Parts: sequence; structure tokens; C-alpha cells
Amino acid sequence: MGELPNQIVQGVLVGGLYAMYAMGLSLSVGVMRFVNIAHGDLIVLISFLILTLIHATGMGALPATLIALPIAFAGGYLLQRFLLQRVLGKGVLPIILVTFGLSIIIQNGLLGVFGADTRRVSGGGIETATLKIGGGINVGVLPLVIFLGAIAMVMALDWLLYRTRLGARIRAVSDDPATANLVGLPSARVYATAMGIVGVTIAISAGFMSIWTNFDPTAGPSRLLIAFEAVVLGGLGSLWGTLVGGIIIGVAQALGAQIDVGWQLLAGHIAFLVIFLARPEGLFPKY
Amino acid sequence: MAQNSGIRRRSVLTGMAAVGAASLSGVAPAFAAAPKIKIGLVMPQTGPLAFFTEHIPFVLEQVKATYGGKITSGGKVHDYEIVIRDSQSNPNRAAEVTQDLILNEGVNIVATFATPETVNPVSDQCEVNGVPCVSNDAPLEPYFFGRHGDPKKGFEWTYHFFFSGEELVKALLPYWKKLGTNGVVGGLWPNDGDGIAQSKGFPPAIEGAGFKVVDPGRFDMPASTYNSQIGAFKSAGCEIVSGVLPPPEFTTFWNGCAQQGYRPKSVYVGKALEFPATIGPLGDRANGLTTEVWWSPTSPFSSSMTEQSSMQLAEAYEQASGRQWSQPLGFRHSLFEVVFDVLKRAEDVTNPDSVKKALRATDLDTIVGHVNFMTGPLPNCSLTPLVIGQWSKGKKYPYDIVVVDNTNFPSIPVGGAPFAIPYS
Repeated sequence: MGELPNQIVQGVLVGGLYAMYAMGLSLSVGVMRFVNIAHGDLIVLISFLILTLIHATGMGALPATLIALPIAFAGGYLLQRFLLQRVLGKGVLPIILVTFGLSIIIQNGLLGVFGADTRRVSGGGIETATLKIGGGINVGVLPLVIFLGAIAMVMALDWLLYRTRLGARIRAVSDDPATANLVGLPSARVYATAMGIVGVTIAISAGFMSIWTNFDPTAGPSRLLIAFEAVVLGGLGSLWGTLVGGIIIGVAQALGAQIDVGWQLLAGHIAFLVIFLARPEGLFPKY
Repeated sequence: MAQNSGIRRRSVLTGMAAVGAASLSGVAPAFAAAPKIKIGLVMPQTGPLAFFTEHIPFVLEQVKATYGGKITSGGKVHDYEIVIRDSQSNPNRAAEVTQDLILNEGVNIVATFATPETVNPVSDQCEVNGVPCVSNDAPLEPYFFGRHGDPKKGFEWTYHFFFSGEELVKALLPYWKKLGTNGVVGGLWPNDGDGIAQSKGFPPAIEGAGFKVVDPGRFDMPASTYNSQIGAFKSAGCEIVSGVLPPPEFTTFWNGCAQQGYRPKSVYVGKALEFPATIGPLGDRANGLTTEVWWSPTSPFSSSMTEQSSMQLAEAYEQASGRQWSQPLGFRHSLFEVVFDVLKRAEDVTNPDSVKKALRATDLDTIVGHVNFMTGPLPNCSLTPLVIGQWSKGKKYPYDIVVVDNTNFPSIPVGGAPFAIPYS
């Protein structure tokens, strides 16, 4: 089994992708305390935005993603301020229903506007570039960049949440909205800003995802499950935990596939269940 | 009650108006008496299979231009209407809307296409309710055996024409032999209807022809990575990859191959590599990929409806839609060729039995080849020709399909010789 080290390396890198996909979800679950069912669809929506920018102006994927960042921030802010805020704090169910409805609206809206064709953004050759690192192991440049990107994202968000004034406000509102209001924090606006930040992470994942793989209007929900597992596995509220959760699922899948590729997805879910049974609060819970 | 009588009165009034209009315009009474023919069409207009319906608006325009809403059958001129229902790419929904067509719309014949997930439930409903049904664009085996067909008995009401899985292997083998590889084939067969069918049918046929098969096992989709399969193929030295994947999955696999430095000489992946819409995003990485060809502009067949040659049909489509031709176009067109041929030949088009008899006796040269449901290889099925093609740099479009092997159907001209993927 000379394949084994190679598969573990690849599994770790795939874990980076899962973590990046899950980062926005981790923020909204951990900080805003709600599950955003439309998370995957929002990523696809921004992917289509990036695609449209590229087609309209002929620019590359990187500048298009950079332009999408402030748009996604504004979108996240407005979404929270005018839609999600209305049902927040009214129990678990209303917000799930609202985001579920949002998911359906986004999917069918995109289907109506763009049709059902599968799309892909060209990364200018990066998606097929490869590095030989010896021992018969090749590392794709794109997975490596995504992995490093996920680490950078965790560091940046960690700094933002725990080292800045804004982060302190977000955490205060998250811990106890009533008390935060009492000391004069505009909780609705703070929530909206947090959702804007989620929007930025969604735009970054959308940029990478649109290069990594084809997408179509209905591609959103398919990867939501694994992203959700990564969040729960890592422990709610812990961004580093989400990264570790993603890597565990990625490696478990790679190892499971060594027995039979039919075991690939199952192995990821089994690893999740086993750890979940042993540590229901996740590996690095914040709360 | 009051409402009921209102409707009745209104329908009587419109009936009188229609009779009045007919007698005013001086048309023979037989004309007004001929009932309207309803053709039910079930297709996945929305959902993941929606790209199968891309050609329908164009083909319906053609039908309209040819017949203008009237069809002559049994010496009478009938108005016809095509009633379309959306299966939403969902087998249960497909069955539901077919029932609606049969029970509420009272259609005289049902037409359907696009994968066993659409064709099978629609055909089953027609079989149960005794309504003639014609379909295509789903391989014969999943159509026949997927519906638990008995090769000795067959079906009564439902008929189908397309290529078969057996025919596909027979077409691939001579092509692979001409390529000159080490003969090791990596199987990329997922855990779905097509993948399971091929993983059972392909290995014995391929190994019987002197090739070796490496099969890492069934897998679920969507897969975020194909590293395990690529690792297995690479370490076994597979120079040929054969599989069946939806387009987005193939892109993930194919980018993974580049990232892992895996360069097979030939890659055939069913479903993924048939459409320009999915080939386009691959860019130069599409060069040399293999696809089965069920219809192409170079096919030597022509339409019984519009008299167009295959080339003319493709050009007309490209002009009308501004999109590159793709294989389903021929089959969409041929579906209506068969439907109207059957309706015209039926002795009494309003009688289901009579339409069924005409359908069973179909013997028609269509744009996709000869259709005759008596010829098999399975009952109720007609096998259409299949050759092998590769995507090569085109003149009009960045990439176009070139037929490279026609061993089984020499009447379809080849446009070039088989070549290994160049990896420029």
C-alpha cells in the first residue's frame, strides 16, 4: 500500500476545501446561533455573480472575486437586517423555514435566469497545475492554495472576533442580546455586520469553488451536509475546530476509499458519528 | 348546481358557435366532426436533467411549420394539440403527470425521452392505462429490464428506440484496439442505475476481448474528490478510462487527474462528454476525449418529416438557436417523426387499439436511422446505430465531435483516425 501516504496527503487537502466551504456556516451557527439552510445556495449564487462579472467584462477570476467581496458583504448585511432579523430569537424553527424558503427561491431564480447548464470559471491553468513532491506523490496547486486559504481565513476571522472591537461587540450580542441592548449596543446592526462578514467568507469560497468544480443552480445543497458535519465535529463556535473537522472527514474518506471507493462517503459519516458519540459537544467547543 | 348548469350552457354556446363558423366558411361537415388529437409529451423541463430539453422549442417549431396544427388520418383532417408536462427530473412526478395526461387530458398517444428516470415511469403508466407510448434517449437494457420486462412477452402499449449497452461495448472495443494501448482499462462506475449496469456488463465483455479491467468499486455522487480512483488507476497503469458520470462529476475527476499527474491515453465517460455545453468549460483539456455518437450531422440519414439531411437539420438548429448542435437534436426530431407517422397510419386515430397497432407496425426511416420495433434485440425495442467519436478542434466551434470508428456501422462516415489524448 504505497498509495496510503499519498491518499492521506490528498485527504488533508480536501479537508481544507470542506473547511472553507463550512467557514461561513461555522460563523452563523457559532456566533449568530442559527442554521442557514441556504448556505450552499448562497455560495452558488455568488459563483454565478462571479461568472457574470467575468463574462461581462472579460476580467480574470481573481479580480471578479475581489469585486464580489463588497457586494457579498452588502448582500449579507441587508439579508440579515431586513429578513433574518425578523425571525431571529423566535425559536429554532422559523429561521430554518425562512432559510429553507430562501434556498428554493435562489435555486429556481438561478434556474430561470441562467438555465440548467453546468458552469465553470477558468482559473487560468491553476486548476490543472501540479507539484511533484517526491515518493510518487503529486499535489495539485489549487487544492494547496485552497488549504492555505482556509488556514488564512481562520486566522483572519479569529483575529477579527477575538482581537478587535467589532469582534467583542459581535460576541457580546451573540452571548446575550438583551444585556447587549441594555448597555447600548445596536444588536440588530451588529448581527447584520456579522452576516456581512459571513457573506465575505461565502464569496471567497464561491471564488474557489467555481474554479475547483462545475456548478449549476441546484449544486448548493449537495455539499451542505459535509460542511455541516465539519462544523459540528469541530465544536460550535470554534473556527479552528471547523478546519480540523474538515480535515478529519477528508482523511477518513480517503482511508475508507482504500478499502473500496464505495466506502468513501460512508467512512466520512462514520468518523463523524463515532466522534459525535464520544464527544457530542465537538472537539473544541467554545460554548 | 347553478355553476354547473352555467358551464353546460356555455359549452353548448361555443359548440354552436363552432358549428356556425364551420358552416359559414363552407368546410365539409366531416371536418368539423373529426375530433381533436391530443399528443402528450412528458419531459424534464426543470431540474438536473433539464439540459435534455434544450432542443424541444426548435423541434416543436419544425413540427408546427410542417403540419400547421392539422393532421390527416383515416381520410379525415384532425386538429392536433401537443400537451406538455414537466417531470421536474423526478420519476415520481413523471408518473403523476402522465396519469394527469391520460385521465384528465385524454391524450391519444404519449411521447417521452431523456434517461430511464423519465422514460420508465411514463411508459409504466401508459402500459397500465392502455395508452400507446413511444420514447427514446434511454439505453435499451435499463428501459426494458428496469421496467421488469420479460423478453418472452414484452410490453403491449409501449415502444422505444435508442442504442443499447451491449452495442456500446461492441463499439468501444475495436476503437480501443486501434488506439494501441497496454489494454488496462480503469472502470469509473458510480453507484447509480447506469454505473451499476455498466459495472456488471462491461468487465466480462472487455476482458473477453483481451483487455484487463481495474474496478475500484461503486461510489456515491456528488463526490468532492476522485483521488482514490485516480490513485488506483495510476498505480495499476491504466491507459484507458471507461465510465459513466454526470458532467459536473467528470470535471472534478478530470481536474483531479491533472493535479495528480495522471495521463491516460483514452477517456470515455458516458453522459458527461456528449454535450458541447459541458465540453466547453473544459477548454483545451477537452481535446481527444471519447464519446459514443448516436447522431451527428455526418449521419447518412434524413428526416421523414422535413426531408432535411442530418447536416441540414444541425445547421437549421444552429441558425435558429445560436447554439452548437448536439446529439439529442436528432432524437428529439425523430421522436416526432415517429409520433406523426403513427398517427397518420392509424386506421382510427381516436381508438387506442388502432393507434397501438400502427405504433407496433412502425417501419420508418428517420433522421437517426431505421425504426422498427419488431427488430429487437429486445421486444418493443428498436436499436439505432452507434459509432465512436472524439472531441477535436473544430472550425466553427472550439471543439467538435469527429467520428473516429465505425466498425459496426460502416455506412456512417468517419472524419478521422482514433488518436491518444495529446496533453499539449
